[in-house]
Amino acid sequence: MSQQILILSQSHLEGTTDHVCQWMNHLQIPYLRVNGEDLFQMQHLGDLPSNSQTGVVWYRRKISSFPAKYSLKQDDFATQYTLKRFLIDEFNGLHAFLFYTIDRQKWMNDPISEDNLNKLHVLALARQHGLNTPFTEVVTTKAVIIRLLERCPELIVKPVSECILVEDAAGGQYKMLTKTISKANLQQVPEKFFPSLVQEKIIKKFEIRTFYLDGTCHSMAIFSQDNRNTKEDFRNYDNKRPNRTVPYKLPDDLELKLGQLMKALGFRTGSIDLMVDLQGNYHFLEINPEGQFGMVSYPCNYYLEKKVAQLLNKSILHEKEIY
Amino acid sequence: MEYFNLYANCQLVKGANMSLLCDLQMRRFYHLPNDTAEVITFLQQHAIEECLAHYGEDNRETITGYIDFLISRELGFKDHQLLPGLTPLDLSWDRYSRITNVIIEYNEAVNYNDTFFQQLFDLHVQGLEIRFYHTIAPDKIRGLLAGFNGTTLRFIKLVLPYNETLDLRTLDKLVKQYPRVKSLLIHSSPIDKQEKIFDESVPVVFFSREINSCMACGEIRTNYFTSNMELFTESQHYNTCLNRKLSIDTNGYIRNCPSMREHFGHVTTTALQEVLNNDAFHRYGKIRKDEIAVCRDCEFRHVCTDCRAYVEDPQDIYSKPLKCGYNPYTNTWDEWTENPLKQSAIAWYGLEDIVK
Ligand code: SF4
Repeated sequence: MSQQILILSQSHLEGTTDHVCQWMNHLQIPYLRVNGEDLFQMQHLGDLPSNSQTGVVWYRRKISSFPAKYSLKQDDFATQYTLKRFLIDEFNGLHAFLFYTIDRQKWMNDPISEDNLNKLHVLALARQHGLNTPFTEVVTTKAVIIRLLERCPELIVKPVSECILVEDAAGGQYKMLTKTISKANLQQVPEKFFPSLVQEKIIKKFEIRTFYLDGTCHSMAIFSQDNRNTKEDFRNYDNKRPNRTVPYKLPDDLELKLGQLMKALGFRTGSIDLMVDLQGNYHFLEINPEGQFGMVSYPCNYYLEKKVAQLLNKSILHEKEIY
Repeated sequence: MEYFNLYANCQLVKGANMSLLCDLQMRRFYHLPNDTAEVITFLQQHAIEECLAHYGEDNRETITGYIDFLISRELGFKDHQLLPGLTPLDLSWDRYSRITNVIIEYNEAVNYNDTFFQQLFDLHVQGLEIRFYHTIAPDKIRGLLAGFNGTTLRFIKLVLPYNETLDLRTLDKLVKQYPRVKSLLIHSSPIDKQEKIFDESVPVVFFSREINSCMACGEIRTNYFTSNMELFTESQHYNTCLNRKLSIDTNGYIRNCPSMREHFGHVTTTALQEVLNNDAFHRYGKIRKDEIAVCRDCEFRHVCTDCRAYVEDPQDIYSKPLKCGYNPYTNTWDEWTENPLKQSAIAWYGLEDIVK
């Protein structure tokens, strides 16, 4: 049986996968797309995509939402939440089985590395590869913050894991954002607190979002306007005065280091965030292996979705040569 | 030294006398004299001081004025260098469908669900315009739209004749039921007006003139100009009016656009593949603005669309669109219908009734 391209994604709200699939159709590249939702139709484990049928895997997403609602007979906010977490873990357990049944080298990105990516580890690894990173610490007391503020005038607090959306029982939603601490608002910081990641705040000239694709960096510079809303994190969009997004080429040696870092993590694709300070120095911030690249592709006219389709095709042809 | 960095998605297009600075991201454009454009071009290689020295002390104020203008419009910024990482915009163009847009001139007698249409919409067509020249019952419109439910269409535009039963409430219900309908044009309306339905998201334009055939199409007007990445890049390589577009006229004939003379078969007897494999079908789609007489000297050429169906010299397919009144050599707009030089082409196409 001939081997095929396997795309793991979700059935809804995944424009990037849809877009790549449309390119594959147009270029007449055969593929199999399995959405997490499809696992609710399986009859037995044999229905999962098999190693022998699969030549290359592009893992985008697990699932958008469970096709049915599951609830407890006696409804209660806290247990409902526990149940939700439990079902997610159950689903992930099944989904992650694929990480072991399909040979690791067939995955565009090593799935286990991708699912367990650790911000602190990535920063440390980046430094090992000679990349410049903002000073980063994890602290638990105000006293240390005061000392750090001697060294950097402003610090930002961000999660070690990912920003979350907090929901209250009434359905209100609160989005977690990056926050700045300086001498001016130090009084809000409690004496002792949960271990928190603080990072030196870089005064930026502009930000860079790079989509790394199999050895090539496709970068975009993001100039936020003199606008308070967007100073810290350009994802807090301001619709009236959008950021200027233009194609950018990183220096060759920086691209080389980023490529080595991606290799060390086992990633052939991913989004990389960087920042350029007022002096023009580059600072590596983080990697999102499953980052949306439509937001780089369209403004820069890069056709990344087409390039991903072509890369998948190239990978499968290459596999064929080996066998 | 200070430099002015122009953003790569702000593209200068030079015409005979004037230039257009097209901001492809913010979807705006600025009409500038060629002298100004020349200064902007010079600044892309030199420091501001060098530019001031080059153009002389007399022009200092003018040039700093230009730079202030560009910065105020957020078209670029000053820095102590021309940032080497800011690379030019790649102007290549491609799409994942062999046909991106379709126009249908509706005819009750044609079956829009048959094989030809199924194959056509399987190509991932993105935009569809359906033109109704005659009054049609809302039920019939619904039936037709329902037929497109399973397709990848993203955008449907309806051109409908005015009819009292098609009031805004009915239209609102219609677009809510078929959310791919993103725009409506109501012709033969008692008054000209613009409305919005579906929570202000779908424009409805009421137009007092009658549209009873494709003869009314092909007009070039400034409000049709669009400054965006899609059109600008496509325009560098292809004809933006005809490239990857297909139409089915009232009688079911397959054409590049309803107004073009040649057809490539009938929907009931021709296979879609035959049309797509026919080189003649793609001929006009390859005619670029840069190859068209007059347009090639016009600063609007990459924000403008085109028309190959009605041209100034019907014997020359590279001549300028007949229905454009702009003269890029004098930078004036005239009523094209009144231009004495266009009368013979108007007669040749039989457009006398339209221009009245
Ligand atoms: S001359 Fe050509 S490009 Fe210029 S406005 Fe007229 S049709 Fe458009």
